[in-house]
Amino acid sequence: MNGHPTRPEDFDLYALGVLEGEEKAAFEAHVPTCAACAEKLAEARGRIALLAFAAPRVEPSPSVKERLMRQIHSAPEGARVAQRATREPDRTGGFFGRWWPAAVLVPVGALLILVSVRLWQENVHLTDELGEERAELQRQQAQLDEARHIVALMEAKDTMTVALAPQPGMPKGDVRVMYNAKMGMAMCDGWVDPAPANKSYQLWLVPMDGKPISAGLIEASSGPINPWTVKLPPGVAAKAFAITLEPEGGMPQPTGPMVLVGPVS
Amino acid sequence: MSTSDAALIQKIVQRDESALAALYDRYASLLSSVLNRILRDTQASEEILQDVFFQLWRNATQFDPGRGSLPGWLVVIARNRAISRLRRHNPSEGEELLETSVIVPANLESAVAQQQLLGRVKGALENLSADQRAAIELAYFEGLTHSEIASRTGDPLGTVKTRIRTAVESLKRTLSP
Repeated sequence: MNGHPTRPEDFDLYALGVLEGEEKAAFEAHVPTCAACAEKLAEARGRIALLAFAAPRVEPSPSVKERLMRQIHSAPEGARVAQRATREPDRTGGFFGRWWPAAVLVPVGALLILVSVRLWQENVHLTDELGEERAELQRQQAQLDEARHIVALMEAKDTMTVALAPQPGMPKGDVRVMYNAKMGMAMCDGWVDPAPANKSYQLWLVPMDGKPISAGLIEASSGPINPWTVKLPPGVAAKAFAITLEPEGGMPQPTGPMVLVGPVS
Repeated sequence: MSTSDAALIQKIVQRDESALAALYDRYASLLSSVLNRILRDTQASEEILQDVFFQLWRNATQFDPGRGSLPGWLVVIARNRAISRLRRHNPSEGEELLETSVIVPANLESAVAQQQLLGRVKGALENLSADQRAAIELAYFEGLTHSEIASRTGDPLGTVKTRIRTAVESLKRTLSP
């Protein structure tokens, strides 16, 4: 099958996953090259996806959502170490008969120790929670500040947008930089292939005169760039923006190859 | 009126955690059901469920609501991952590339719409013969191919292919808008 699939059900059969061998290979060779077939496959996938409704209803545990929301906060896993109760006190036969005062005092003492440990655990837990709340407040404040910067940058009439194009033989990407010289502020957005091991992407403002100015490292470990704003010296006329591949952590001046570059028009 | 999926995706792009929570509330039950049906393992199902929504959080910028349906995309990705785990193989690059767009012939953004669709899907499956339904379920929930289904059921390969093709035609007629 070098052309379109011969039967309309082929799309549903592929979406269902039953095709194999040459049939499957021919399908996969053709569909990405044909917009009409890709559309039919998308529709077939949607129909087949509806079979999910045939599964008996199983509600997820509430803990999944809690874990997800913690995960997106990037909370380090295992930050809390589970504290286990202390060992049981040793007991031997005949002890109570001969040493009744100790028989009373030792369990009471053990109980006091257990209560003390429990209170200490509570204290540690509450202290952790308080610390987390403070960190969360600071994080939200930082997000709010960042959002204000982005809005100010986007609303300013003299903000320019520079599209950065990938360079031959370099990792792929599609990055845009919004820059306002008067405000001394830039924002970067888009995506770029993950950086090789022990390397970082670094964004540079290339001024009309003088050396490039670092506009920070690009966080794109999984492709999409986390948009962020960066403060730059105000009033610098930019000739271009560029992204280079630098040793991990970045460099004061570019040393590595240019991955993406965009001239200011 | 509830917020649309597209609007919630846009909010996720702006790192609005409540938007992710809203989409989770909207579709986690559907995904959990299909994952548990495939894997029959609560812990593994919950791991994939969490991972799928985390991927949505991280890659929301890449999802274009204009190119397809979010619940369809979520179901396809969740099912694909569950079957990969079940069969201990990674999907081929080709499979991943072809799965970027999913158009569901219904709006699933409300619980009522989901409930109505549940009735339609059950009705569509009830219209199939027992053999057809079993073959479709082996394919969808166990990820078996034509020859694997033939091997599992002991039926001739040609019979299995005809059975599934007929079943798919019937489902297409019933589930198309």
